[in-house]
Amino acid sequence: MSENIFEVRNVTLRFGGVVSLNDVSLEMRRGEILAVIGPNGAGKTSLFNSLTGVYQPQEGSITFTGRDGKALSIIGQKAHRVANAGVARTFQASRMFSALTAFENVKIGAESHRGIGVLGAMVRGPRTRRGEKDSDALTIELLDFVGLRAKANVISASLSYGDRRRLEIARGLATNPQVLLLDEPAAGTNPAEKIELTELIRKVRDVRGVSILLIEHDMKLVMALAERLYVLNFGSVIAQGTPDEIRANDAVIEAYLGSAATAEEK
Amino acid sequence: MRAFLRRPIVRRFFMIGAAMAALEVMTGPPGSTEAPTAGFAGSFTQPSPFFGLFSTVRWVVFLFLAVVIWAIVTLWSIQGAAIKRSVTTVTAVPRAATQRKSVRRGLGVVLLIVALILPHVITDPFWQAAMVEQIAVYVLLAMGLNVVVGFAGLLDLGFVAFYAIGAYTTAWVTGALPTPPLFGVDLNPFFAIPIAIAIAMLSGVLLGAPTLRLRGDYLAIVTLGFGEIITIFANNLYGITGGSQGTGVIPHPSIDLGPLHYVWGLTPVPYYYLTIVFVVIFLIAFSLLEHSRVGRAWTAIREDEVAAESVGINPLKYKVMAFAIGASTAGFAGVVTASQSNNIFPSSFTLFFSINILVLVIFGGMGSIAGVVLGAVLIQTVSMYLLHSPPAGYQSADLYIYLGALLILMMIFRPVGVLPSRRRKREIGLAESGEGHMDEVLTGDTP
Repeated sequence: MSENIFEVRNVTLRFGGVVSLNDVSLEMRRGEILAVIGPNGAGKTSLFNSLTGVYQPQEGSITFTGRDGKALSIIGQKAHRVANAGVARTFQASRMFSALTAFENVKIGAESHRGIGVLGAMVRGPRTRRGEKDSDALTIELLDFVGLRAKANVISASLSYGDRRRLEIARGLATNPQVLLLDEPAAGTNPAEKIELTELIRKVRDVRGVSILLIEHDMKLVMALAERLYVLNFGSVIAQGTPDEIRANDAVIEAYLGSAATAEEK
Repeated sequence: MRAFLRRPIVRRFFMIGAAMAALEVMTGPPGSTEAPTAGFAGSFTQPSPFFGLFSTVRWVVFLFLAVVIWAIVTLWSIQGAAIKRSVTTVTAVPRAATQRKSVRRGLGVVLLIVALILPHVITDPFWQAAMVEQIAVYVLLAMGLNVVVGFAGLLDLGFVAFYAIGAYTTAWVTGALPTPPLFGVDLNPFFAIPIAIAIAMLSGVLLGAPTLRLRGDYLAIVTLGFGEIITIFANNLYGITGGSQGTGVIPHPSIDLGPLHYVWGLTPVPYYYLTIVFVVIFLIAFSLLEHSRVGRAWTAIREDEVAAESVGINPLKYKVMAFAIGASTAGFAGVVTASQSNNIFPSSFTLFFSINILVLVIFGGMGSIAGVVLGAVLIQTVSMYLLHSPPAGYQSADLYIYLGALLILMMIFRPVGVLPSRRRKREIGLAESGEGHMDEVLTGDTP
């Protein structure tokens, strides 16, 4: 059934002798907020990189199904092809185009999926001008959406961590995605920013209809946001379910929450 | 004492002093087998006029030069510090931006008028020829290489290849090669322009598509090899290119449209105007390109290729595009040179040529069209001056010593170039303060 936006079947990813993902299977439904949690080195970011075409797993299959019902097998695709198909992402350590303004960062996302047209760009023909206008409008709309409109002309390197996260989300949304993959969006943000970020992520799904896949260490944020969770440990899925089910799962508590919970109480 | 010596301003003085001492030895008298150290000592103690004012010994002159350079560099680096500060809190005010734009446009028009009047002011035939062959054509070439090196951030050390391809294509279609012309008839060089551009662009794509997957140093080495291959082909394929004897006579371009009849002849001035027209066209096209989505995509790739891919930019496609645009510009410059100089020889398409163009781009400011044009005009004018009225003991090959020294000094003191582009300036400022992924992209360490 193509209600699933992602279908990951028995994916194994190795780097030499190191098994990063071991027979991982998961499903993501269209329109849900799904979280992947797990201790450091559990393979969360490897999973993200496999879903976006940055890494090529040796075994298994990953199928992305777009709104139009067309299925795309991710393994073997280049990262930019995956992005154009409707998979946007942010990075663990946010990767902005640091020397460009917030506006330019988002605009690059907005125009990357249009055709190229070098000659048009050289003479600034009518199609190029129309494209510029459309991208400008979308960029302003998205900066407004994430609450960065006032900082449109600020060089992205001088934005705060929280603002960089928002900017990355806006840049991802500019590519008109169907699913947004967020790699530890709350890392390095303060408690107030965390609350705003939680609201923003929920707004992305509710207002723009973009499904969210989330990796996060911050349990409070995950439990507040996610509708379903997968738990990874040593590259394998050890549990899945709703936040309440996960909280009660013994294997998870042992592998992850137990140590994390005590660490957080300090 | 130690703290004093460590101050950057003092350290800089000693570095410049050392560079000047090296220059003294390089330009000093040669030693002989009887007195091997005589040349070394003589480099410092030989009498020398002090810029024609009074006579003194060499080390005084060089010490004076060192102080002057040190003063200039110090003033310059104060400005450089201001650049770094601007990185942290830049906010572009739209009105200031438009004002800057109109100022720049006005300045451009003034410079264009100066360029148009220039051949009437400078009537020395040496300089008139130099203005076409060595300055205007080099401006074109530098602008083309700037797209590759400055916009897309790819190091191309074989740029001469595309220039040679343009020149030999012109010879081919006009029937100046031993091999029969492309269309069976000898064409006017004007028709060579689209053909040469197309062939240069095609060879850029053919070279680029497989090799642009490489990064940094590897790409530089492949392009270096390509440049050499083209020169060796031109030299050795005697039956096709005429070999080291060069091509036959390439005709001058002419316009023959009913009442409109004009032949570009031996005098360089009409060529100068023809080239200026194309320089202006390329200038406008490239600056529109820089501020289009293509230019932004190049910036994105240059700064963080992984992030660029994550928003759907195909890096290979854009890199090949930059390569093709650079190549076609060089191809066009080849047409101008070939039709103006009547015949061409493989010996003019050397590695030094590629490096020379690269120096113009780095000196002027990578990624800055205005900077690159200025760099090309400045350096080429100085090198032509040295050729025209050489100072005592100067030989034409010495130019490369000076260009090399200039490049080293630029890298140390002003890596952004004379007239840097704003984007590049910020990037280098950020890389120096450890932000951004610029350094990763250059070294190819991106995961």
